[in-house]
Amino acid sequence: MPDTAPPNGRLFVANRGEIALRAIRAAQALGMEAVLGVSVADRDGLGARTANRCVVLGPAQARDSYLNAGLIVHAAVSTGCTALHPGYGFLSERAELAELCAQEGITFVGPTPESIRQVGDKISARAMARAANVPMTSGTDAVEDVAHALKLAEEIGYPVITKASAGGGGRGMVVARNAEELAGAFDQAVTTAREAFGDGTLFIERYVEVARHIEVQVIGDGRGGVVHFGERDCSIQRRYQKMIEEAPAAILSPAVRARLHEAAVRLLASINYRNAGTVEFLYDTTTEEFFFMEVNARIQVEHPVSEAITGADLVQAQLRLATGAVKGFAQKDVHTAGHAIEARIIAEDPDRDFIPCPGRITRWDPPSGEGIRVDTAVESGTMIPPYYDSMIAKLIVHGNTRAEAIDRLAAALDDFTVEGIATNIPLLKVIVAHEDFRSNTINTRWLETVLLPAFRAEQGR
Amino acid sequence: MGNISTNDIQSLIQLFEKSDWREMHLILGETDLFLSKDRNAQTQISLTTASPSVPAPSHRASVPATPVETPDPKPHGSKIPAGWTLVKAPSLGTFYRAPKPGAPMFTEIGAQVAADSELCLIEVMKLFTTLRAGTHGTIREIYAKDGELVEFDQPLFLIEPDA
Repeated sequence: MPDTAPPNGRLFVANRGEIALRAIRAAQALGMEAVLGVSVADRDGLGARTANRCVVLGPAQARDSYLNAGLIVHAAVSTGCTALHPGYGFLSERAELAELCAQEGITFVGPTPESIRQVGDKISARAMARAANVPMTSGTDAVEDVAHALKLAEEIGYPVITKASAGGGGRGMVVARNAEELAGAFDQAVTTAREAFGDGTLFIERYVEVARHIEVQVIGDGRGGVVHFGERDCSIQRRYQKMIEEAPAAILSPAVRARLHEAAVRLLASINYRNAGTVEFLYDTTTEEFFFMEVNARIQVEHPVSEAITGADLVQAQLRLATGAVKGFAQKDVHTAGHAIEARIIAEDPDRDFIPCPGRITRWDPPSGEGIRVDTAVESGTMIPPYYDSMIAKLIVHGNTRAEAIDRLAAALDDFTVEGIATNIPLLKVIVAHEDFRSNTINTRWLETVLLPAFRAEQGR
Repeated sequence: MGNISTNDIQSLIQLFEKSDWREMHLILGETDLFLSKDRNAQTQISLTTASPSVPAPSHRASVPATPVETPDPKPHGSKIPAGWTLVKAPSLGTFYRAPKPGAPMFTEIGAQVAADSELCLIEVMKLFTTLRAGTHGTIREIYAKDGELVEFDQPLFLIEPDA
């Protein structure tokens, strides 16, 4: 029989890397114990050594370890855990994990399974947004076939973008500027979506040409009370993967910002959303309109920039809310100050088309100092395994102004020494030094269409 | 550098498995690693691989135990004699030595086992997997207690081969 959990509870951490370490430390800071479930590849890592207990779930392959909900919940029950934090990625947005936890009497640190399903399906999420009167690009419900797609696109007006109902990350997304392009790409998009998500259902939206990705961090109390922690601008992306995120979104006027926050809160309040979530919007710089994209029903990679400007600890807030230590939060207690930027450090080589670079880190010397935070589970000597996401650290800086934050980020990147593997740090330095970034005139396609071609030319290829 | 971690060994094993090599012998500082795809390979330390994944949960799936002889005898720090087989857990789960409560144990220390002898059950959320000996011999050690949580790769049984 498992021994009894301490009075504040015992948390099972069902993730790896920096977010697992972050959840372990947050739990310990609140007087909870933390049990980490790892794959064999992570059994000697910093997370395994920091947790009160670590159990090896299975082999390195995520399918038989981090992606096996039954194994994870069995481990949580057998180690006497009272709550489970899913982190991001892996099973964090699978209703199945939340359901298994409920069945076994373990508190899932996240939304209800019903909410996860409702926001996870993009078409039902659009219906939810429509009902809550949140602005959206003109779009469709499920599209049946090419002929149906062409008819709907004609009504919406080109350019249009296809999207998979079952998931994101760019898979199933095709931009079409006319009927020929749409007809030519539609079937392939269905196939891609089916392969990625097991469901090839697509819908179509009007495509916003020059857009920024702006999202609002919220926490709901599960009873209709929803508080926001400001917004983030995540427009520096490559293949729909974010690389740099900022808070606040300096491009917004105070009036638009207030409307954006209000829309995000209204949307999640309408479904009695529980725990941390993010509402993502596309922002049209020219018209100053914003359009609902999707809800992420979990803590996100880039949550630290919101923490930096609000002073909140969002992971601790998740735990306090889930365990009943607090009933909710009050908007009047959330204030923002200054500007924060996060750069994702990934083990990929920008000189070789972002080829993943797993391997042994022989020297790890991250920057430190005023306004600098590094979230990572990496140390000198850490082996970066080839099986998982390539993000190895997050560098977060805070300054009184955006300009000060950028200067801090540039200096911190210069101070960041990683030896043994290639990373994107050289590319991050070029981005941060670029005039367009400094003047904040970028958009979601800037990295791929402006910066990377120049970067490659400079590298002599 | 004389230290080689579990991760390194794992990566080496994977590379080796993918290669068309039959044997690989690596001496690095204190570490002496011998990999072979031939079960009868003659050497003082042999390390056979192929960690079995538990087959998708049918109600009582059965996995052959992986005969893993290891140079790193974790349990109780005792040395594993050459040629003996350490049977490890194919997945995390609850370890059961009997088919049901009150029933006789599958096996005991000193018992003879054949390759298809059942050694224990590993339970994950009410799904039971039977672990078999995978080799002929005598049970010399049972490392886990009935009803206890065992982790993936944890040594469970030590089997001395028939002479």
